[in-house]
Amino acid sequence: MKIGSTLRVVGVIVFAGLVSGCAHVPPASDPAGRAAFLENNDRLEPMNRVMFKIDQAADKAIIHPVISTYHHVVPDRARKGLLTFKHNISEPVTFVHNILQGSPGAAGRTFARFVMNSTIGFFGFFDVAEKAGMPFRSEDFGQTLAVWGVGEGSYVYVPFLGPTTIRDGIGLGIDSFFVDPIAWYSYNPHNAQWVQWAELGLIYVTEKDDNMEALDELRKSSIDYYAALRSAFRQIRASEIRNGAPPPMEDLDAPQ
Amino acid sequence: MNRRSATFLFAAAVFAPSFAWAAETDPTQFVADFAQKGIVDILAAKVPQAERTQRFRTMFKEYFDLPAIGKFVLGRYSRNVTPEDQSKFDSLFEDVVVYTWARRFGEYNGQSLKVSSSTPDGGDGAIVKSSVVDKGGDNIAVDFRLRKRAEGYKAVDVIIAGVSMAITYRQEYTTVLAQGFPALVVQLQKQVDDLKKQQPT
Repeated sequence: MKIGSTLRVVGVIVFAGLVSGCAHVPPASDPAGRAAFLENNDRLEPMNRVMFKIDQAADKAIIHPVISTYHHVVPDRARKGLLTFKHNISEPVTFVHNILQGSPGAAGRTFARFVMNSTIGFFGFFDVAEKAGMPFRSEDFGQTLAVWGVGEGSYVYVPFLGPTTIRDGIGLGIDSFFVDPIAWYSYNPHNAQWVQWAELGLIYVTEKDDNMEALDELRKSSIDYYAALRSAFRQIRASEIRNGAPPPMEDLDAPQ
Repeated sequence: MNRRSATFLFAAAVFAPSFAWAAETDPTQFVADFAQKGIVDILAAKVPQAERTQRFRTMFKEYFDLPAIGKFVLGRYSRNVTPEDQSKFDSLFEDVVVYTWARRFGEYNGQSLKVSSSTPDGGDGAIVKSSVVDKGGDNIAVDFRLRKRAEGYKAVDVIIAGVSMAITYRQEYTTVLAQGFPALVVQLQKQVDDLKKQQPT
């Protein structure tokens, strides 16, 4: 089965769920509840919590043990090398979005990173560009849409993939099928199809591994893990879109 | 999400000796002092866990504006909460934060905090940018949000790799508050009990 058709099936299932699982907006007589509802941007919360439960059950039974084994069996340096390699194959996508966001300087740095790391960085296993003062910065279509003024859309929790938003989910789909050079490579039936599967596996394992420790800690330190994860995810995306600037906290100084 | 909590302990705890010369009114000095005290009196101190936890609690209350954080965390719900409930929440919240950090004191492994800059924020406040650097040279961005109070600067938030502790608690707790204030109190009490069981001896 081709990866494109597999993901399309997943997409159809997710969007069928989207139309069925909407939350009730708290009435105007409950201003605090309404404010919290709007701040959390989770119109699909009932469906999302079901998806989250499925995801957590699968995580506990299969994914966490597998990633944990990977974490403990594969030496640190090898895991770091694979993560760097994964970052490197994403640089062409970042480059396209640097341009689409109107940042030619960032595009130049991304290009330089890709050339340096792919050559003297031994096919991207070593991040020599970071040591030369050009740290990794990831851009994607979700961030470009945000820069263009497109709102998040509701928060969405997708089993096995994790948290996203309507905007970022659509962005990921477009990046995966139309921007990523490996997708273009695999559109040619004469080319090896396993390459795209290998890419997917690499992205999945390295990202899960990179986040595992933080997620374990978040789970242990929260009373509503679903809500804490939603908050942390949306803050990280917002921080990426602001390119690292601290978040605004408008009502911190407002009289209560 | 990156290493939210691995760092959130060290953020509070490590210091940059190069900033010891700075003036007392300097927000960067406030953060450096906090980190220095944290590492000398708590993380590197050879005292029992209970003593470390007590020192951390005292320090946390001294350097952070806990009532302001408590109000922010409850969001608009804080308008409906009685003063008794607010103080009940404040003391549970203090316990949650203290025991969350305290159970990881033993993981300290020579990290240091490099303070890099301070920018004005919210009228008379400041955001101090810094990074926690470990022995391998990896670093994670940690920003402190400060406000000026009568007795000097107080921290109102810590932002680790783009994730604000205050905003995360607020968005988590206001979700629980949809079930009412008593539900939040019950769950926080249970969380405090669980965290106490996870403390190293």
